[in-house]
Amino acid sequence: MSLRSQLLKGVLEGCILSIINRQSTYGYELSVRLQEFGLSDVSEGSIYPILLRLQKEKLIEGTMQKSDLGPKRKYYHLTEDGQHALREFMEQWENIKLPVDNILNKGGETD
Amino acid sequence: MNSKDFIKLNNDMREKLSEENKEIYEDMLVYIRLSGNKSEQQTEEVLFELLEHLLEAQKEGKSARDVFGNDFKKYCDELIAEIPGEERSFALVFGGYIVLYFLGILSTFYGLGNFLIHQFFDVGSSDYTFSIGSGITVVILDLLILSGFIIFVLRWLKNSTFKVKKPNKWVEFLRLWLISMIFIGATVGIPIIMPSFGSEITIPVLSFAIVGIIFFIISFILNKKFRITK
Repeated sequence: MSLRSQLLKGVLEGCILSIINRQSTYGYELSVRLQEFGLSDVSEGSIYPILLRLQKEKLIEGTMQKSDLGPKRKYYHLTEDGQHALREFMEQWENIKLPVDNILNKGGETD
Repeated sequence: MNSKDFIKLNNDMREKLSEENKEIYEDMLVYIRLSGNKSEQQTEEVLFELLEHLLEAQKEGKSARDVFGNDFKKYCDELIAEIPGEERSFALVFGGYIVLYFLGILSTFYGLGNFLIHQFFDVGSSDYTFSIGSGITVVILDLLILSGFIIFVLRWLKNSTFKVKKPNKWVEFLRLWLISMIFIGATVGIPIIMPSFGSEITIPVLSFAIVGIIFFIISFILNKKFRITK
Protein backbone atom coordinates (compact mmCIF):
# COMPACT_ATOMS: atom_id res chain seq x y z
CA MET A 1 0.00 0.00 0.00
CA SER A 2 1.55 3.26 -1.04
CA LEU A 3 1.29 6.16 1.31
CA ARG A 4 1.00 8.53 -1.59
CA SER A 5 -2.71 8.26 -1.08
CA GLN A 6 -3.77 11.37 0.80
CA LEU A 7 -6.80 9.56 2.20
CA LEU A 8 -4.71 6.89 3.84
CA LYS A 9 -2.29 9.48 5.21
CA GLY A 10 -5.07 11.32 6.95
CA VAL A 11 -6.68 8.17 8.31
CA LEU A 12 -3.35 6.84 9.52
CA GLU A 13 -2.68 10.11 11.31
CA GLY A 14 -5.97 9.77 13.13
CA CYS A 15 -5.24 6.16 14.08
CA ILE A 16 -1.78 7.07 15.39
CA LEU A 17 -3.22 9.88 17.50
CA SER A 18 -5.80 7.50 18.92
CA ILE A 19 -3.25 4.81 19.83
CA ILE A 20 -0.90 7.32 21.44
CA ASN A 21 -3.82 8.83 23.33
CA ARG A 22 -4.66 5.49 24.93
CA GLN A 23 -1.11 4.93 26.12
CA SER A 24 2.12 6.77 25.48
CA THR A 25 4.16 4.64 23.15
CA TYR A 26 7.32 4.51 21.03
CA GLY A 27 7.83 3.99 17.31
CA TYR A 28 8.28 0.26 17.12
CA GLU A 29 5.45 -0.52 19.51
CA LEU A 30 3.20 1.80 17.57
CA SER A 31 3.84 -0.05 14.33
CA VAL A 32 3.14 -3.37 16.08
CA ARG A 33 -0.18 -1.99 17.39
CA LEU A 34 -1.21 -0.81 13.94
CA GLN A 35 -0.51 -4.24 12.54
CA GLU A 36 -2.40 -5.95 15.38
CA PHE A 37 -5.40 -3.84 14.46
CA GLY A 38 -5.14 -5.18 10.94
CA LEU A 39 -3.35 -2.38 9.12
CA SER A 40 -0.73 -4.89 8.13
CA ASP A 41 -0.21 -3.54 4.62
CA VAL A 42 1.13 -0.26 5.90
CA SER A 43 4.91 -0.49 5.68
CA GLU A 44 6.41 -0.15 9.14
CA GLY A 45 8.67 2.73 8.30
CA SER A 46 5.86 4.91 7.04
CA ILE A 47 4.88 5.92 10.57
CA TYR A 48 8.06 7.98 11.06
CA PRO A 49 7.35 10.74 8.54
CA ILE A 50 3.89 10.98 10.13
CA LEU A 51 5.31 11.13 13.65
CA LEU A 52 7.63 13.91 12.52
CA ARG A 53 4.75 15.84 11.02
CA LEU A 54 2.59 15.43 14.12
CA GLN A 55 5.47 16.74 16.21
CA LYS A 56 5.95 19.67 13.90
CA GLU A 57 2.26 20.50 14.25
CA LYS A 58 2.69 20.17 18.03
CA LEU A 59 -0.01 17.50 18.26
CA ILE A 60 2.35 15.05 19.94
CA GLU A 61 5.52 15.35 21.99
CA GLY A 62 8.28 12.86 22.48
CA THR A 63 10.33 12.32 25.62
CA MET A 64 13.25 9.99 26.12
CA GLN A 65 12.47 7.39 28.75
CA LYS A 66 14.23 4.30 29.89
CA SER A 67 12.22 1.21 29.08
CA ASP A 68 11.93 -1.71 31.50
CA LEU A 69 14.61 -3.63 29.76
CA GLY A 70 16.86 -2.37 27.08
CA PRO A 71 17.79 1.08 25.90
CA LYS A 72 16.20 4.49 26.14
CA ARG A 73 13.25 5.09 23.88
CA LYS A 74 11.35 8.05 22.63
CA TYR A 75 7.83 7.81 24.05
CA TYR A 76 5.14 9.94 22.48
CA HIS A 77 2.16 11.49 24.19
CA LEU A 78 -0.60 13.78 22.97
CA THR A 79 -0.55 17.50 23.61
CA GLU A 80 -3.72 19.44 24.25
CA ASP A 81 -3.81 20.38 20.57
CA GLY A 82 -3.39 16.70 19.78
CA GLN A 83 -6.42 15.75 21.89
CA HIS A 84 -8.40 18.39 20.10
CA ALA A 85 -7.25 17.13 16.70
CA LEU A 86 -8.15 13.56 17.68
CA ARG A 87 -11.69 14.58 18.70
CA GLU A 88 -12.06 16.43 15.43
CA PHE A 89 -10.85 13.41 13.46
CA MET A 90 -13.30 11.12 15.28
CA GLU A 91 -16.20 13.44 14.54
CA GLN A 92 -15.29 13.72 10.88
CA TRP A 93 -14.81 9.99 10.63
CA GLU A 94 -18.22 9.34 12.18
CA ASN A 95 -19.75 11.73 9.68
CA ILE A 96 -18.30 10.13 6.58
CA LYS A 97 -18.04 6.48 7.65
CA LEU A 98 -21.67 5.54 7.05
CA PRO A 99 -22.34 7.58 3.93
CA VAL A 100 -19.16 6.28 2.28
CA ASP A 101 -20.02 2.69 3.19
CA ASN A 102 -23.52 3.17 1.80
CA ILE A 103 -22.29 4.71 -1.41
CA LEU A 104 -19.73 1.95 -1.93
CA ASN A 105 -22.29 -0.78 -1.20
CA LYS A 106 -24.89 0.82 -3.47
CA GLY A 107 -22.27 1.02 -6.14
CA GLY A 108 -21.74 -2.71 -5.68
CA GLU A 109 -25.48 -3.46 -6.02
CA THR A 110 -26.04 -1.64 -9.28
CA ASP A 111 -23.12 -3.37 -10.98
CA MET B 1 19.44 14.35 25.44
CA ASN B 2 21.47 16.55 23.14
CA SER B 3 22.02 15.61 19.49
CA LYS B 4 25.64 14.76 20.30
CA ASP B 5 24.50 12.21 22.89
CA PHE B 6 22.25 10.62 20.28
CA ILE B 7 25.15 10.41 17.84
CA LYS B 8 27.28 8.62 20.43
CA LEU B 9 24.50 6.21 21.32
CA ASN B 10 23.81 5.63 17.63
CA ASN B 11 27.48 4.80 16.98
CA ASP B 12 27.43 2.12 19.68
CA MET B 13 24.07 0.60 18.82
CA ARG B 14 24.72 0.48 15.09
CA GLU B 15 27.26 -2.26 15.68
CA LYS B 16 24.43 -4.64 16.55
CA LEU B 17 23.03 -4.48 13.02
CA SER B 18 23.62 -7.31 10.60
CA GLU B 19 26.03 -6.55 7.81
CA GLU B 20 23.35 -6.06 5.17
CA ASN B 21 21.12 -3.93 7.38
CA LYS B 22 24.08 -1.89 8.54
CA GLU B 23 25.13 -1.04 5.02
CA ILE B 24 21.64 0.19 4.16
CA TYR B 25 21.15 2.00 7.46
CA GLU B 26 24.46 3.83 7.19
CA ASP B 27 23.62 4.99 3.69
CA MET B 28 20.32 6.33 5.00
CA LEU B 29 22.11 7.98 7.88
CA VAL B 30 24.61 9.78 5.66
CA TYR B 31 21.90 10.79 3.22
CA ILE B 32 19.61 12.18 5.92
CA ARG B 33 22.39 13.89 7.89
CA LEU B 34 23.56 15.69 4.76
CA SER B 35 20.09 16.88 3.84
CA GLY B 36 20.94 20.51 4.42
CA ASN B 37 19.75 23.00 6.93
CA LYS B 38 17.67 20.65 9.11
CA SER B 39 17.41 20.66 12.89
CA GLU B 40 20.26 18.48 14.08
CA GLN B 41 18.35 17.52 17.21
CA GLN B 42 15.28 16.29 15.29
CA THR B 43 17.47 14.58 12.70
CA GLU B 44 19.40 12.60 15.28
CA GLU B 45 16.27 11.71 17.22
CA VAL B 46 14.56 10.23 14.20
CA LEU B 47 17.74 8.46 13.08
CA PHE B 48 17.91 6.89 16.53
CA GLU B 49 14.28 5.79 16.29
CA LEU B 50 14.87 4.22 12.88
CA LEU B 51 17.88 2.36 14.26
CA GLU B 52 15.91 1.02 17.22
CA HIS B 53 13.11 -0.05 14.94
CA LEU B 54 15.49 -1.81 12.60
CA LEU B 55 17.16 -3.61 15.51
CA GLU B 56 13.77 -4.82 16.79
CA ALA B 57 12.76 -5.90 13.29
CA GLN B 58 16.06 -7.68 12.84
CA LYS B 59 15.31 -9.80 15.92
CA GLU B 60 12.22 -11.03 14.11
CA GLY B 61 14.18 -11.84 11.00
CA LYS B 62 12.99 -8.83 9.01
CA SER B 63 15.28 -6.86 6.73
CA ALA B 64 15.65 -3.15 6.13
CA ARG B 65 13.62 -3.64 2.97
CA ASP B 66 10.68 -4.99 4.99
CA VAL B 67 10.75 -1.96 7.25
CA PHE B 68 11.51 0.93 4.91
CA GLY B 69 10.24 -0.37 1.58
CA ASN B 70 12.25 -0.91 -1.57
CA ASP B 71 13.11 2.65 -2.45
CA PHE B 72 15.33 3.85 0.39
CA LYS B 73 16.11 7.16 -1.20
CA LYS B 74 12.45 7.98 -1.64
CA TYR B 75 11.74 6.97 1.94
CA CYS B 76 14.54 9.22 3.19
CA ASP B 77 13.22 12.12 1.10
CA GLU B 78 9.80 11.65 2.69
CA LEU B 79 11.40 11.82 6.13
CA ILE B 80 13.60 14.80 5.31
CA ALA B 81 10.59 16.74 4.06
CA GLU B 82 9.06 16.46 7.54
CA ILE B 83 12.15 17.32 9.60
CA PRO B 84 11.92 20.94 10.77
CA GLY B 85 14.65 23.37 9.73
CA GLU B 86 17.49 24.39 11.99
CA GLU B 87 16.82 27.44 14.08
CA ARG B 88 18.26 30.55 12.47
CA SER B 89 20.20 31.54 15.57
CA PHE B 90 21.99 28.20 15.73
CA ALA B 91 22.74 28.26 12.01
CA LEU B 92 24.36 31.67 12.52
CA VAL B 93 26.44 30.42 15.47
CA PHE B 94 27.51 27.43 13.42
CA GLY B 95 28.48 29.59 10.44
CA GLY B 96 30.35 31.98 12.73
CA TYR B 97 32.19 29.07 14.29
CA ILE B 98 33.42 27.79 10.90
CA VAL B 99 34.46 31.27 9.74
CA LEU B 100 36.37 32.04 12.95
CA TYR B 101 38.04 28.66 12.99
CA PHE B 102 39.12 28.91 9.36
CA LEU B 103 40.41 32.48 9.67
CA GLY B 104 42.05 31.53 12.97
CA ILE B 105 44.10 28.80 11.32
CA LEU B 106 45.08 30.94 8.33
CA SER B 107 45.99 33.96 10.41
CA THR B 108 47.93 32.10 13.09
CA PHE B 109 50.05 30.13 10.64
CA TYR B 110 50.63 33.11 8.42
CA GLY B 111 51.70 35.36 11.29
CA LEU B 112 53.77 32.79 13.14
CA GLY B 113 55.36 31.41 9.97
CA ASN B 114 56.49 34.76 8.64
CA PHE B 115 57.68 35.84 12.06
CA LEU B 116 59.80 32.73 12.59
CA ILE B 117 61.22 32.84 9.07
CA HIS B 118 62.26 36.42 9.65
CA GLN B 119 63.75 35.67 13.08
CA PHE B 120 65.81 32.64 12.08
CA PHE B 121 66.63 33.13 8.42
CA ASP B 122 66.37 36.87 8.12
CA VAL B 123 64.04 36.48 5.15
CA GLY B 124 61.14 38.86 4.66
CA SER B 125 60.19 41.47 7.18
CA SER B 126 58.81 41.53 10.69
CA ASP B 127 56.35 44.14 9.51
CA TYR B 128 53.58 43.58 7.06
CA THR B 129 52.14 46.21 4.82
CA PHE B 130 48.79 45.70 3.19
CA SER B 131 45.96 47.74 1.77
CA ILE B 132 42.66 47.64 3.59
CA GLY B 133 40.56 47.35 0.41
CA SER B 134 42.34 44.36 -1.06
CA GLY B 135 42.80 42.80 2.39
CA ILE B 136 39.06 42.69 3.01
CA THR B 137 38.42 41.46 -0.53
CA VAL B 138 40.89 38.60 -0.05
CA VAL B 139 39.20 37.50 3.19
CA ILE B 140 35.75 37.56 1.57
CA LEU B 141 36.95 35.64 -1.50
CA ASP B 142 38.66 33.03 0.66
CA LEU B 143 35.47 32.57 2.69
CA LEU B 144 33.46 32.16 -0.52
CA ILE B 145 35.91 29.53 -1.75
CA LEU B 146 35.67 27.77 1.60
CA SER B 147 31.87 27.66 1.45
CA GLY B 148 32.04 26.40 -2.13
CA PHE B 149 34.43 23.67 -1.05
CA ILE B 150 32.23 22.62 1.89
CA ILE B 151 29.11 22.52 -0.28
CA PHE B 152 30.95 20.46 -2.89
CA VAL B 153 32.22 17.88 -0.37
CA LEU B 154 28.79 17.52 1.27
CA ARG B 155 27.09 17.01 -2.11
CA TRP B 156 29.74 14.55 -3.11
CA LEU B 157 29.24 12.54 0.09
CA LYS B 158 25.48 12.62 -0.32
CA ASN B 159 25.76 11.36 -3.90
CA SER B 160 27.94 8.48 -2.77
CA THR B 161 24.99 6.88 -0.90
CA PHE B 162 22.71 4.11 -2.21
CA LYS B 163 25.15 3.08 -4.93
CA VAL B 164 24.68 -0.50 -6.03
CA LYS B 165 28.09 -0.56 -7.62
CA LYS B 166 30.75 0.80 -5.29
CA PRO B 167 33.05 3.22 -7.12
CA ASN B 168 36.78 2.60 -7.37
CA LYS B 169 38.46 3.83 -4.19
CA TRP B 170 41.51 5.21 -5.97
CA VAL B 171 39.51 7.15 -8.52
CA GLU B 172 37.45 8.63 -5.71
CA PHE B 173 40.59 9.47 -3.74
CA LEU B 174 42.24 11.17 -6.73
CA ARG B 175 39.14 13.20 -7.43
CA LEU B 176 38.91 14.43 -3.88
CA TRP B 177 42.66 15.09 -3.78
CA LEU B 178 42.45 17.18 -6.93
CA ILE B 179 39.53 19.22 -5.59
CA SER B 180 41.37 19.77 -2.30
CA MET B 181 44.49 20.93 -4.14
CA ILE B 182 42.45 23.40 -6.17
CA PHE B 183 40.84 24.64 -2.95
CA ILE B 184 44.14 25.10 -1.11
CA GLY B 185 45.80 26.61 -4.18
CA ALA B 186 43.00 29.15 -4.63
CA THR B 187 42.99 30.05 -0.92
CA VAL B 188 46.72 30.69 -0.89
CA GLY B 189 46.93 32.10 -4.42
CA ILE B 190 44.31 34.81 -4.17
CA PRO B 191 46.28 37.03 -1.74
CA ILE B 192 49.31 36.72 -4.02
CA ILE B 193 47.62 37.76 -7.26
CA MET B 194 45.26 40.31 -5.70
CA PRO B 195 46.31 43.83 -6.77
CA SER B 196 46.45 46.21 -3.83
CA PHE B 197 43.97 49.02 -3.56
CA GLY B 198 42.74 51.20 -0.72
CA SER B 199 44.89 52.92 1.88
CA GLU B 200 47.92 51.03 3.12
CA ILE B 201 48.73 50.22 6.72
CA THR B 202 51.76 48.54 8.28
CA ILE B 203 51.51 46.22 11.25
CA PRO B 204 53.96 43.78 12.87
CA VAL B 205 53.47 40.42 11.16
CA LEU B 206 53.17 38.70 14.54
CA SER B 207 49.86 40.50 15.14
CA PHE B 208 48.31 38.12 12.59
CA ALA B 209 49.13 35.27 14.95
CA ILE B 210 47.63 37.14 17.90
CA VAL B 211 44.40 37.85 16.00
CA GLY B 212 44.36 34.22 14.85
CA ILE B 213 44.69 32.93 18.40
CA ILE B 214 41.91 35.24 19.56
CA PHE B 215 39.69 33.80 16.79
CA PHE B 216 40.61 30.32 17.96
CA ILE B 217 39.67 31.11 21.53
CA ILE B 218 36.32 32.57 20.49
CA SER B 219 35.54 29.55 18.31
CA PHE B 220 36.57 27.27 21.17
CA ILE B 221 34.20 29.06 23.56
CA LEU B 222 31.39 28.93 20.98
CA ASN B 223 31.95 25.22 20.58
CA LYS B 224 31.91 24.63 24.36
CA LYS B 225 28.84 26.73 24.89
CA PHE B 226 26.69 25.50 22.00
CA ARG B 227 28.13 21.99 21.70
CA ILE B 228 28.82 22.42 18.01
CA THR B 229 31.12 19.47 17.46
CA LYS B 230 30.99 17.48 20.70
